[in-house]
Amino acid sequence: MKVGQREPNVIPGFGITLGFTTFFLSALVLIPLAALVLKAGGMDWSRFIDVITSPRALASYRLSFGASMVAALTNMVFGFALAWTLVRYDFPGRKFVDAIIDMPFALPTAVSGIALTAVFAGNGWIGQYLEPHGIRVAYTWIGITVALTLIGMPFVVRTVQPAIQEVQRDLEDAAETLGAGRFYVFRRIIVPTVLPALLTGFTLAFARAVGEYGSVIFIAGNMPMKTEITPQLIVIHLEEFDYAGAAALGCAMLVISFVMLLAINLLQVWGRKRLMVSR
Amino acid sequence: MSIALDQVTKRYQDQPVVNDVSIEVGEGEFFVLLGPSGSGKSTLLRAIAGLTGIDHGRISMHGRDVTHVRARDRGVGLVFQNYALFRHMTVADNIEFALRVRRMKRAARVARRKELLKLVALEGLDERLPGQLSGGQQQRVAVARALAHKPQVLLLDEPFGALDAKIREELRRTIRAVQRELGITTVLVTHDQEEAFALADTIGVMNHGRLLEVGHPHDLYAQPATRFVATFLGAANLLLARQSADGIRFGATPVSAEASEPMQVGREHEVVAVLRPEEVEVAVTREQLSSNYIARGAVEEVAFTGALERLRVRLLDEPCAAQLLGSGSPAEARVEITRTQPERRELPLLAGAHVTLGARRLHVLPTPISSFLACAPTEAEAEELSREPLLESLSTRMKTRIGVRAIDGLKGTPAPLAGVAAIAAGDKAAATVEWLLKHGAAEVLVLPRNAPSPTRVYIHWSDEAVRRATLAVSASLLRHVSAEAVYLGIVPEGGQGTGRAAPMRKLLDARVEAQQRHGLEMRTELAIGEAVTEITRNLSAGTAQMLVLGITDITQAGTAYRSLLAAQPGWPVLIVYRQPDVGLRSSPEIAA
Repeated sequence: MKVGQREPNVIPGFGITLGFTTFFLSALVLIPLAALVLKAGGMDWSRFIDVITSPRALASYRLSFGASMVAALTNMVFGFALAWTLVRYDFPGRKFVDAIIDMPFALPTAVSGIALTAVFAGNGWIGQYLEPHGIRVAYTWIGITVALTLIGMPFVVRTVQPAIQEVQRDLEDAAETLGAGRFYVFRRIIVPTVLPALLTGFTLAFARAVGEYGSVIFIAGNMPMKTEITPQLIVIHLEEFDYAGAAALGCAMLVISFVMLLAINLLQVWGRKRLMVSR
Repeated sequence: MSIALDQVTKRYQDQPVVNDVSIEVGEGEFFVLLGPSGSGKSTLLRAIAGLTGIDHGRISMHGRDVTHVRARDRGVGLVFQNYALFRHMTVADNIEFALRVRRMKRAARVARRKELLKLVALEGLDERLPGQLSGGQQQRVAVARALAHKPQVLLLDEPFGALDAKIREELRRTIRAVQRELGITTVLVTHDQEEAFALADTIGVMNHGRLLEVGHPHDLYAQPATRFVATFLGAANLLLARQSADGIRFGATPVSAEASEPMQVGREHEVVAVLRPEEVEVAVTREQLSSNYIARGAVEEVAFTGALERLRVRLLDEPCAAQLLGSGSPAEARVEITRTQPERRELPLLAGAHVTLGARRLHVLPTPISSFLACAPTEAEAEELSREPLLESLSTRMKTRIGVRAIDGLKGTPAPLAGVAAIAAGDKAAATVEWLLKHGAAEVLVLPRNAPSPTRVYIHWSDEAVRRATLAVSASLLRHVSAEAVYLGIVPEGGQGTGRAAPMRKLLDARVEAQQRHGLEMRTELAIGEAVTEITRNLSAGTAQMLVLGITDITQAGTAYRSLLAAQPGWPVLIVYRQPDVGLRSSPEIAA
């Protein structure tokens, strides 16, 4: 098929839409990113390496990406359970729960950060019961993960929900008449069908968590080498008017994020190919 | 018996969707459950598969009671309308699913898969994904998958619904061939009568959750017992005819009807006759007819449908037209006719042409309820009575007509009464019933105002002589309402002790007769005491109850059972009257 020669569409003009897309992508994503890279390019190479490989920076990457990964994985499991409950069961208050899921979207992230800190601090509602058992949440990496989980939850639930709706009862019924037990049906039929959506949700939650700043800084405590996330480190550089250093860290984050997202996307493409060649 | 369903009932929110269904499917038989959507056929199939629990009854397979056995342990294969293939698995994995679950060795699995793919003519497609196959191919895969674990029973739920006509026929042939080759007991659910005819050894027709008739396709088509089956299995013109010892009359003319048994009729009464479109002969004059004349008509519509030509003919003589049961009012009733091309060439017809119609073959339905006649002192009151919700819903469901008749003062001799007379409940009801029965009515329905459609129908008769007739009327009624049937046997007080066995035997006899002759599943209850008191007690125990009462003595309605006919609290009561000497030997009811 020749480029641009498509079936007539509801929104006409392939040229216009492509132009629009390119313009917005450039103005909002590519140009700022290019500026970031240019800014970082302003410093000399050895200093650039020094900044992005300083022990403090390395620790912050580990924390940022590690906590984001754990949060996204947690969301994958509980988000799935939540979505499943919402789709498959009818219970009083279902609509209410369904509405509440979107709350983290709407809430200023700083608010959720402060709220979480208040709840999980040593004298908070939940913190006071955890602390005696040696579990400290606030001001540790656990707290960061909790905050990131909260932020990412709606992404997973909202992407998985329609996928679960698509798992027809007939599929489960068919598997059951063929002799499969419940766990077998879940593992072999439901999970594979929902997996692409689950991965998308995971990616979104992960990407969101990596970039999250507002909610984390309150609960993290921001101790260098311990509970300092990369975005926080960038802000510190900015506050010291070290714009080039901030840009360098930004570039490092950009590259790591890009590589990870690309990997997840490839995984997804592979999964989708197995699932729906034509649909 | 390969599959046996015994009085299976399934309710959703108290509404029975499957109502007292008993079926026996023989070894290797291809059984088709046919019915309109919402008739409960798919629910019944799911119940057989074990995917839906049942509220009452028993399901057994090969002599093993599987009522409480889980679907995965029942050994059935199920094919769905939307294929329900696992889209993330290849054809091979789909087919081997049941074998993997059973941890079969790889070599055996592959061999079985190859065998199945060959069976459904899909060799070489092992590694395709379902999304790469056409609808027909996907359904073949689904059939192969359902057969993989060698189930004892194959169940198909509208398997051709999503396919176009050509593929449908091809797949139909494949499924029939596979079924024959494997000799597997098969139950298929469909709403398509053509499909049922093409596949079935036996057809069971369902409507409103009830199994109406079971039989060989040809028998069901040629000799249906119910209006529903007559009109659902192929097209049918329904006529109200009169039957007597001399034969059958439609309008003023006698018609010879092919009846399954010689009629043994006491007095003339109204019957419903089925005239298939292809059994209508069309000629210009009466002399040219080679079959029995039925009426004259004007062609209204000529439609070409390929092999057959369809005609719609409006009857010209009013009395005849009034006896034709159509979809709506008598004015809308038309005779449907189909003619083959040779017939059409012999007498080409255009709309507007006047023709003479003859009936080559007429089948009289054994149903004892032919039509309703609302009777009240004045015409206006009768009209009003005819609009009673229960009466209207019954006549709609029975595809029949409600006539009206003014019977002021109960004097003189009325014109012949036809069908079930309906009167309003109240003080005068008893006297009216008596008068109607005296003047030839055989069934009278006494209706309180705004009676709801019954959910339970009690059946009782005062004398064994009227048992057969009462059961026949009850069965006919219960085919059209989704209600539970309960036979109420009443033993007079003091007759206890030694006299207990006889009533019990009667009870069982009644149940067996209801089941075997009419396919009616009936609960039985035995009460001790005085009849009217016991009946009243049972009727009062719930809402939306109704009574079918068989009597042999005209005056009984006015005396013993008088209190049942009151307007308050008021239950619909259908009185069935037969003269005792006629009742036993020569009642007009034939086995349905």
